Amino acid sequence: MNFSQAAILAVPILMVTSLVLLVGLDWRGTQIALSIQYAGMFWLVTLSWPVGMAAVKLVVGLMAGAVLATTQPGTNPGETGSLPLSGRIFRVLAALLVWIVIFSTIQPIIGLLHTGLPTGLGGVILMGMGLLQMGMNRQPARVVIGLLTFLSGFEILYAALENSVLVAGLLAAINLGLALVGAYLATAASMEPDI
Amino acid sequence: MSAPILFIFLPGLMAVALLFVMRQNGWATGLASALCLVLALLAWQMPIDTTIQIGPLSFKVASAIVIFGRRFVLQNTDRAFLTLVYSLGFVWFFGANFARPGRLFWPFGLGMITLLVAAQAVEPFLYAALLIEMAVLLSIPMLNPPGRPVGQGSLRYLIMQTLAVPFILLAGWTSTAIDASPNDPLLLLQGAIFFGLGFALWLAVFPFYTWVPLLTSETNPYVSGFVLSFIPGVVFFMALGFLDTYTWLRDNPNLPTVFQLVGTLMVVTGGIWAAFQNDLKRAFGYAVIFESGFALISLGLHTTVGLEAFATALVPRFLGLVLFAFTLSLFEQAGIKPTLEGVKGSVRRMPFASSALLIAYFSMGGLPLLAGFPIRQAIIEAVAGQSIPLLSWILIGSSSYWAGGFRVLAAMVNAVQPNWEIGEKWFSALMCSAGITAIVLIGLLPGVVLPGLLDLIQVYSHLK
Repeated sequence: MNFSQAAILAVPILMVTSLVLLVGLDWRGTQIALSIQYAGMFWLVTLSWPVGMAAVKLVVGLMAGAVLATTQPGTNPGETGSLPLSGRIFRVLAALLVWIVIFSTIQPIIGLLHTGLPTGLGGVILMGMGLLQMGMNRQPARVVIGLLTFLSGFEILYAALENSVLVAGLLAAINLGLALVGAYLATAASMEPDI
Repeated sequence: MSAPILFIFLPGLMAVALLFVMRQNGWATGLASALCLVLALLAWQMPIDTTIQIGPLSFKVASAIVIFGRRFVLQNTDRAFLTLVYSLGFVWFFGANFARPGRLFWPFGLGMITLLVAAQAVEPFLYAALLIEMAVLLSIPMLNPPGRPVGQGSLRYLIMQTLAVPFILLAGWTSTAIDASPNDPLLLLQGAIFFGLGFALWLAVFPFYTWVPLLTSETNPYVSGFVLSFIPGVVFFMALGFLDTYTWLRDNPNLPTVFQLVGTLMVVTGGIWAAFQNDLKRAFGYAVIFESGFALISLGLHTTVGLEAFATALVPRFLGLVLFAFTLSLFEQAGIKPTLEGVKGSVRRMPFASSALLIAYFSMGGLPLLAGFPIRQAIIEAVAGQSIPLLSWILIGSSSYWAGGFRVLAAMVNAVQPNWEIGEKWFSALMCSAGITAIVLIGLLPGVVLPGLLDLIQVYSHLK
């Protein structure tokens, strides 16, 4: 069994990491989950792109996660840190619901986009979980992590459709830009105000 | 020398340079507005791809530049667009010295304009989506200046604009697939859905517009006005480009109906919500929605009149936006809360700003004798020829919007302050007067200014 044949294994990894990001841990846990998520994304992108080009997505993802995490030294992870147990259970149930919908509709989606099962499933799961995360968080850094998750899912799907270097570069710039914006928004309130 | 270097890279460099002088408002204003004025004049007067002779000097400005194998092209047909964008940039940057939008406004604002022009120039089309997203990312620090808490409106704005990118990229991919098999109905439907969702998210079309009033209520009105005039403005042009390029989309029989229905919903909901607003900054957001609704209706007419109405509405729309945003900023600076309660009797304290706000509000509503009226009348006449029920809803929306304006008028002339105590700075008053004069003059003499804007749509030859 080679790397690409085992690619379906990346799907449960992405499900776990996106669930961890949704339920919320401290920033160290979030950073680790985001990094593993980008590794899973890299795995699925290698199904469509050469490893060297797919590695760009991994490097950019790790950098984006690092940029976000470095703005949160010693802080709790916002509202997800103080989530009661019932809130966490609710998020897990919401994620389960999203997964059920995705697993029951994945075949037509794969048919429309002409992708393989691991690529389609991995991409759509990340997009769905990203949307869920954006909808359930109000803290800027968490919302940006949701956006990055959503874009990661899209990039897995889009890699199967388009292999332009410039598009890859611009998407990388957008990912980094989003991370910078998230970092800025997370710290803007504590900066020196305009006179 | 090439046009993309002049109109994209030069202002891009200036945007970086402005980072070093942004704490000196005067310098930042002077540099940004002077550059925009020069570029607007060059775009207006300087032909592209034609040899220009100045005394012994002879040169030609090329239309294209290649970067990483992709072309950025600005041709003679784009000059009207460039003139409009940089003229507006001049007005916004010049006014910023008095509106005090925060030190990030000049560098990030110019950077945003640069990226939007690049989005218009890049070939193929799908790269534009990524450049517009970068412009959106640049606008976030402007909207949320240092030292102020981040509002939900900015986050929703960021989310909606970012969600649009995948849909536009997928629309680009689908259009390539449609070129290969143009009669596949599933592909045509798929393409129309991707296109529709992408542009609906970008343009804050119903039902994705909830962030607009939230954003205007939470941020500096001048900055939100700037963002809401440039991003939807350029995206509308991109939508026109998309429609002009792809026959399968242009010939979709449902598209005009969808545009008209969604536009009418925006006019009705925007108008009714504006009528019940006590917060003028939120009313500003609804005015933007109301205006965008009319732009969609005009495109949905699917006629030359509709397209011309869209193009000629741009200057009245932008004038209304800039004056509305400017006056709201003046009220905030004067310590007057921009609410119906706060502006009670403001005519006796800030007569110029109060009058300018009312004029801007009613011009965006299409009140007779103001700049928005001639275009609004043309659209309403054209809709009347196509659908009376739709016309009735548009009139309901417009009347509601006007009712909101009369509530503001009633509050401003309220006799809570019986004596005149004018506390406006003379230059702010002068700026307000210039805005009022421009709106009234265009309203009285639409045939002088507005036909020049038809050059903007010359490039879309398939849509006429």
